[in-house]
Amino acid sequence: MYMPLLLPALIVYVVLFIVPALYGMTLSFASWAGLGSAFHWVGVKNYVDLFTSPVFLSSFWNTLVLTAVVGVAIFLVSCGAMIVLRSTKGHSFIRSAVFVPYIISPIAIGLSVSFLFNPKGMINTLLGLLGLDGLQRPWLAPENILQVIMVGLTWSAAGFYVVLLMSAVDAIPASLYESAQIEGANLLQQFRHITLPLTRDMISVAAVLWVIAGIKTFEIIIAFTGTAGTPPLEARSLAVEQYLRVTGGPAGGIPQLGSAAAIGVIMTAITVVLILLSRRISRREALEM
Amino acid sequence: MSTVPRIGRPSLSAALSTFVAFALKASLWLWVVFNLAMLVWIFLNSVKSSRDIFAHPLGLPTTWHWDNFWTALTTSGLGVAALNTVVLVAVSVAVIMALSVPAAYALARLGGRSAGPITSLFSAGMSVPFQAFAVPMVLISVGLSRFMVEWITGAWDPRITVAIFYVALSLPFSVFVLVGYFRSLPSELEEAGALDGAGSFRTFLSIMVPLAKSGITTVTVLNVLGLWNETMIVLLLVPNQGMQTLNVALLNFYSDMQYTSDWGGLFAGIVIVVAPMVILYFWVGRRVVSGMTEGIGK
Repeated sequence: MYMPLLLPALIVYVVLFIVPALYGMTLSFASWAGLGSAFHWVGVKNYVDLFTSPVFLSSFWNTLVLTAVVGVAIFLVSCGAMIVLRSTKGHSFIRSAVFVPYIISPIAIGLSVSFLFNPKGMINTLLGLLGLDGLQRPWLAPENILQVIMVGLTWSAAGFYVVLLMSAVDAIPASLYESAQIEGANLLQQFRHITLPLTRDMISVAAVLWVIAGIKTFEIIIAFTGTAGTPPLEARSLAVEQYLRVTGGPAGGIPQLGSAAAIGVIMTAITVVLILLSRRISRREALEM
Repeated sequence: MSTVPRIGRPSLSAALSTFVAFALKASLWLWVVFNLAMLVWIFLNSVKSSRDIFAHPLGLPTTWHWDNFWTALTTSGLGVAALNTVVLVAVSVAVIMALSVPAAYALARLGGRSAGPITSLFSAGMSVPFQAFAVPMVLISVGLSRFMVEWITGAWDPRITVAIFYVALSLPFSVFVLVGYFRSLPSELEEAGALDGAGSFRTFLSIMVPLAKSGITTVTVLNVLGLWNETMIVLLLVPNQGMQTLNVALLNFYSDMQYTSDWGGLFAGIVIVVAPMVILYFWVGRRVVSGMTEGIGK
């Protein structure tokens, strides 16, 4: 009797989510430039070509670096918050305020942050005023841009994870912290022996959510580099590389739908592997504790 | 009270811990100040002349250029884009909720062998990145448009295709969170409804939906946030500038910057994209955030 309630969503999900996903997987074994052009089955050629292409490998590497580095940065920031935020005055205000960048469009984040880092922008001006001219850089030049993007991404995402993990900290009975204080445990020890073990599940959830989000990083890179030009190789993520192959790139090249579909499959595979890995790691930490 | 601390030596480590705690608290407040400063800075830039933005990056505008907003909305096409975004997001979120709320309720109450695997099927969708759909989406969009133009309606609007995929791609998350919500509600009330002779559909509409209101609000707002900020689907499926959404219009605006140098206008555009979501967040934000963390934690 619940079926009429379930069926509409289930049908939409199967027809417009599962079927397209399988269709995409099938297309990754074909060579095609789109409707109206020649279609060939090519087997695993797209995958072989991708893994021998320096352009693809660099976007593959960039995506892993970006996901790992920003993930670690977010984890450290969240740990800092979990150590002191409970006992900080105005903690609910702090939570609301650090969450704000997360609700801002990544395009707007990218445009504003890249404006701060432009050659005559605020960052270089401030470094000059502080007498740190040696640290001034052409931040948006290809060799530096990925680092700046990672800073922007950490800024925009970290608040979400802080709020998520703090909700797990809130669920810990206050009496545990009180008795730890009576026994002379300082904040770091309380974190190590109470907070960390008891928020393990949420840390694992947060890691999974970050992996899902980090692998598909796209908008902020496009905003940093603009749609007019092709993002430099140093800043290309898998999502950006795929976008260029789907559209044929800004130069009006021929779309490479087969290899773009293969990138989609590879990204799904990396996401699943990283999710399993982060679950495994958080479980092992649990055993050690 | 025991006088022998069981963990750690008090003197040095206590001093270190106090220092670390102080440094961490200071950094958190610095982060808060930075976030608020960024919002103020973006706003001030949106009412400055482009020359002011570079000459007085930190100061107040020498003259207040409210006309930047007018230029952004009219000349740069953000007005049309805002309308597109509002309609697209409103229609898509309405359909998403109409589909996912009943489905989640059914999955939460459907005992036996079918509910578990179907729920897993939905939540597995959350780990499939959008990029797995990029190519099929483009092909389906082109194919659907040709089919409709040649055989059915004689015309097609790519924004409809965008809405269709917005709905499909938002289902896994919405269903997943809502199932958690409905599971947490007691089933006694439905049994009472059933005794009073209400059918399962009546029970659902008049008893369960009002009870799950906070969960439904949370999922609605999160979908609004996500789709308002969505860019890639529109970039891929909508070639016509007059039909694009705010984020894509903002990117186009930025690409024209080398010809127009209208930086004040660009920041006005950023404010137009960001302000509605910031207002939404401060209006319903705290409730939504707590609802979201509960939903995810389950």
